[in-house]
Amino acid sequence: MPVPETRASGPGPVGKVVAEDPSPMAELTLPNPPPPSILQRAATGFGLLALLVSALFGGNVAGMRERFLGSETPEARPAAVSRGGETTPPDGAPATEAPRQSVLRSQPWWQSVTTLEGTGSMTAPAFAINADAVQWRVKWTCQSGRLLVSAPEQRRPAVDAACPGSDIGYGIQKGKVILQITATGPWQIQVDQSVDVPLFEPPLPAMSAPGARPVLTGSLYRIDQVGTGTVTVYRLPDGSHAVRLDDFFVTANSDLELQFSPLEAPRTTKQVTDNDRSPSIATLDVTTGSLNFRLPAHVDPTQFRSFVIWCEVANSAYSAATLRPA
Amino acid sequence: MTAPVVAAPASPKPHVTLRGEEIPVVLPSRRDPRFKLSAVVITLHILGQTLLDWKVSIAQILITMLLCGVIEFVITFRGQRIIAWPASGILTGSSVALILRASGTRHGDWWSLRGIQWFILAGLISLLAKHLIRPTGKHLFNPSNIGIVWCLLVIGPNHVFAQYLWWGPSRIGQALAFAVIIGGAIWILRAVRMIPMAVSFLVTFAVLTGIFALAGHSFIAIWHVGEISGLEYWVNLAFSPEVLVFVFFMISDPQTAPKPPLGRVVYGAATASVAAALIYFQTTEFGIKVAILSSLTVVCALVPFIEAWCRRRQLAPVELSESRGPTSPARLKPLVVALRRPAVIAALIVAVAAPIDTMALANNNQVVLIERGEVGKANAQ
Repeated sequence: MPVPETRASGPGPVGKVVAEDPSPMAELTLPNPPPPSILQRAATGFGLLALLVSALFGGNVAGMRERFLGSETPEARPAAVSRGGETTPPDGAPATEAPRQSVLRSQPWWQSVTTLEGTGSMTAPAFAINADAVQWRVKWTCQSGRLLVSAPEQRRPAVDAACPGSDIGYGIQKGKVILQITATGPWQIQVDQSVDVPLFEPPLPAMSAPGARPVLTGSLYRIDQVGTGTVTVYRLPDGSHAVRLDDFFVTANSDLELQFSPLEAPRTTKQVTDNDRSPSIATLDVTTGSLNFRLPAHVDPTQFRSFVIWCEVANSAYSAATLRPA
Repeated sequence: MTAPVVAAPASPKPHVTLRGEEIPVVLPSRRDPRFKLSAVVITLHILGQTLLDWKVSIAQILITMLLCGVIEFVITFRGQRIIAWPASGILTGSSVALILRASGTRHGDWWSLRGIQWFILAGLISLLAKHLIRPTGKHLFNPSNIGIVWCLLVIGPNHVFAQYLWWGPSRIGQALAFAVIIGGAIWILRAVRMIPMAVSFLVTFAVLTGIFALAGHSFIAIWHVGEISGLEYWVNLAFSPEVLVFVFFMISDPQTAPKPPLGRVVYGAATASVAAALIYFQTTEFGIKVAILSSLTVVCALVPFIEAWCRRRQLAPVELSESRGPTSPARLKPLVVALRRPAVIAALIVAVAAPIDTMALANNNQVVLIERGEVGKANAQ
């Protein structure tokens, strides 16, 4: 802040040198300072060392600032490798390295945990819910009588309904969960957990099968929201098409849709809406990772020039990628 | 040491007797132009607390002002045996609190002490730099500027940040803030003959950031959905109230700015150019704010050279050729002697580290995550 120049009647500036020599060095070399004591020398040396260390600290050299002062960034977590609860790739998929660690979060998505079925009352086999899962759900169906599904540490039952019927019940207990089922007839339960970790699916086996080939590729750029990663459109051996998103991230929101656009490089939502688009080819439940989507038979991607991530709720083009021959 | 830079008290001079020693007392004077500046800063603080939703508490502001005032008072007393109203220290404290923010502080938590240690550190660094880094016999760096820059770079974006470039949400608050800033600028800058410097900065900065906007530069900010680019990029930089406060009330400090009028114009343009050069690499609001503040740190270190250049221009050609003389080891001796002085070494470290550390922010993914709001409920800003 400016300290305006005023004249004080008290003692004037101390040590001020009015140099006649125009060289800046004339000001930097004060005349005959008294020799410093050992203590002053030590303090000066320590001060300079502290200044130097803080300069390195400020540059976050080797991440030292975050190591010492902590980080607001969430700790990296193992990403999911499938839509099931497995931590290893499903059978048939090419072997990959250990699950990736990522600090990025996806829109919460449902990852299947287990399927239970039986007739009458029973204590179901235990299953595990991730410690950082948002919640879990049971998608149930039953044929006759009544179905009561409860978790021991949950005050209200997840399901308490008359049969026949089907619906969804929810729970929030984490870790090992053992459901108590009270029923008079046959029933089936699918347990899913809501997680926000990225999903890194391996490519579809059909993408590397003989006769399969990438036909279009592009890199995502942002329109209204952040979008990064690469898009590759494959022609599969059976003549159908599939899209693979690699190292993908888009700003999280529910019900984002994947579409194709005839524009080469749409830059605004208006440009996207002013031109015909393909119907939605898939709804994004996971918003970061590497994902595969099979295209509906009636969508020919080669008729379009760009790929768009569209938010129907906000009527907004989040991100797009210009598609070029692969 | 430049303190006490206050107006002369009326005769007879007041004093107190302490253990038989008569100690002069320098009381605040209404003629002291620092009161104008304090009035502007305090008005902005009031607007920030009432209409502008600033994430700084009254306790943070008062403690920083008090700490800086007490330190300045003690240093002045020990060094000059006078009891002086610590106007400079209080002003430094209020300036630190005007710009610095501790992560997690919410607007309306009037007495929150969250992150108070960062305010105290910034105040301490400001005054340490003022009283210890004096390579030309007076302080080289703007005290509040170096304290804030040190805190933003060393403590980092997880714990501190600078007041947003955009001030809101109240339109009335924005209008009042602009009125106070521009009115205050005219009121203060005329008195210290800094208007040409401010114009020089603003024009250079507006042109350079305008070029960046046309070239497609953008940045992300926690308060904005999506990237800020194009006209919005330019307006948010060139006409940000934060930048205006920086120009009118920080870089215009006559104690650290060059004395010659031409030097001041060069100083303004140089600060804007360094700021733009550092902004060029930044994609986040945090990085841009640090770049703007760091530019002053860098250019303050160049002020002795700007002043020397101005003096050279004033010399007659004959005198100039005589003063230059042949290059010889003898002429380099002052440079070697100067480089052995701790204050010069410290100034050199600060002047080199500030831009390098600022540029390192451009590659910091954590800043990007924070500005995108992707670090969840613990979001730093």
